[in-house]
Amino acid sequence: MSDARRVLKVARRIRKERLSNIRLKVMLPILLLFLPGLAWGFSDPNIVLPGGHQPDTSMEVLFYASLGVVFGATMCAVLMAFDGVSKDRASGMLEIQLAQPMPRTHQAAALIIGHAQAILIPVYALLLLTVIVVNHRMDAWPTLTETLVYALSTGLIVLWYTLFALLASTTAREQGTAIAFGVGVWFFFTFLWALVTSMVAYASGVSVGETNDPAWVTLEGMLDLLSPNGVYHHLLETQLPTVDRGVAAWQSWLAAAVWTVLPWWALHRRMERLVP
Amino acid sequence: MADPLLVFSEVEHRHRLPAPKPWKPWASRRGAGVHGVTLALYPGSVLGLIGPNGAGKTTLLRMMAGVLPLQSGKVTGRLQQNETVEVEDLRTWAGHMPEQVRWQGRLTVNEALQQLNDMRGQSTQRIGQLLSLVGLSDRANEPLDNLSQGMRQRLSIAAALLGSPRLLLLDEPFNGLDPVAAEAFAGLVRRLAEKGVSVVISSHMVTQLEGLIDRIALMHRGQLLDEGPLEAVEKRLGLDGRYRLQGRGDLRSSKVLESLQNDVIAWEQDDETWSLVLRGRPHDALQNCLDSDLEMTSWAPVRPNLVEWLCAATGMSLDDISLEVASSAMLPLQATEVSEDE
Repeated sequence: MSDARRVLKVARRIRKERLSNIRLKVMLPILLLFLPGLAWGFSDPNIVLPGGHQPDTSMEVLFYASLGVVFGATMCAVLMAFDGVSKDRASGMLEIQLAQPMPRTHQAAALIIGHAQAILIPVYALLLLTVIVVNHRMDAWPTLTETLVYALSTGLIVLWYTLFALLASTTAREQGTAIAFGVGVWFFFTFLWALVTSMVAYASGVSVGETNDPAWVTLEGMLDLLSPNGVYHHLLETQLPTVDRGVAAWQSWLAAAVWTVLPWWALHRRMERLVP
Repeated sequence: MADPLLVFSEVEHRHRLPAPKPWKPWASRRGAGVHGVTLALYPGSVLGLIGPNGAGKTTLLRMMAGVLPLQSGKVTGRLQQNETVEVEDLRTWAGHMPEQVRWQGRLTVNEALQQLNDMRGQSTQRIGQLLSLVGLSDRANEPLDNLSQGMRQRLSIAAALLGSPRLLLLDEPFNGLDPVAAEAFAGLVRRLAEKGVSVVISSHMVTQLEGLIDRIALMHRGQLLDEGPLEAVEKRLGLDGRYRLQGRGDLRSSKVLESLQNDVIAWEQDDETWSLVLRGRPHDALQNCLDSDLEMTSWAPVRPNLVEWLCAATGMSLDDISLEVASSAMLPLQATEVSEDE
């Protein structure tokens, strides 16, 4: 059996186990509310957003509905993967797994793929429903490129949070620490990042929150490259021609690559040094 | 004796312990572990790895299984054509059964083994055979959550046997097994050894290993105190040739104690019965008892227990060794001049 096939086989078993987990059944209503639910709301023809803005293209609605991905799907990714390693460590199963001849880096890859797939399957199914909802309400499909970028970006942000949660899981010796670390990272990037941005802006002499000030917009755009949620929105903004926050598309994709490679590499290293 | 399957030479692994400092919260230091252990494993042999809690048995087994890296030392052997053994070789050829694995979840017994089999990249044909070998074939489709402790222990054995190992490492395998299962397990170990598998069993209960092991390795505080064939080590440590005689009557008034004075290790007298432990030629002792008016009801060789092994190997008294065993994890490693802090 080839190495790649072996990795995919192990990943498939992890995915199957996670998909049949009761945790997913609890998450499904939340995801349903956050993904197609938000799209339903934002595609209302009479909606007026704060500032008097009305989304008028399907991609714009998808962009606003991506809040559901940032708040809901990423949290579900963390909740799905936080015990990916720590549970096996606590039960003694990790020792048996580490004693198998499968290289540790391959075991890490299987863990990542299996957990990411387990959350991406329901998320992608609901994204499809989201696009159908938007079309139903606005009578307009997003273009193929827009759909692909939306799907890929969503896949990436879910993968990043899965990686963070698994990294926490390899470090923590018990479940509480693992979930605290995973949720802490999610909370930091989802809620506290605005505070970080404001503090840096203040320290740089930029007027905080002045959305018409180009210096503020550029600073916020650049700082967003340091946050997975920010990069996610930059990727989506590549499909919104009216938005320009001073970050080129290649910079957004480069940041996405860095956010993918660095935690993946870190997890590989952790797995290689892991002791039961 | 055949050539060794594996030779671990001067191997060391010491655990990292967190030692946070205000300016370096992630700092760690080297703690207890295993150091300077040289040990040969022979095909078809059953080695008992004996030592008190915290002696380093589990650490050494994990090193043998390729789970923990060797920080120094080397492994040579005949697993592959090349004499040098890599960690990957150990993981391929060693079957490892850790102590107390809590198999849990909604996976079935069959699926749990298949998952490990996938990691080995092997076909699933052997799984049914293994389940029947450990007596779990009628539980193959049972969820792991429904298994009793003994069944989980059997499943761990099946998992260790997945890759047709040439080296089988069993960490406290008798924990949780009822006497019937323990006897069946001992029989299985003997059969595997007859087929040429080298078996290492760690335990702090020497009596459980009686009649099963043919070699012994005594561990204490991360060091190997002695190792070799059971009888040879017993002889080396002066623990051989001990017998327990029991019977009825008054031992004190007989001349047995007097005549065997130099050979008596311990004796007890109750109202009706007596017990005598002695070292020497059994023939002389038996003759003495028969010549006296004492009634003898049993005569059996006495095997040393863990504390006796440790006392003999370290030269420490029973009191000292008891204290040492209880607090070994906290004491510095003075014996080999290796400090716990570096």
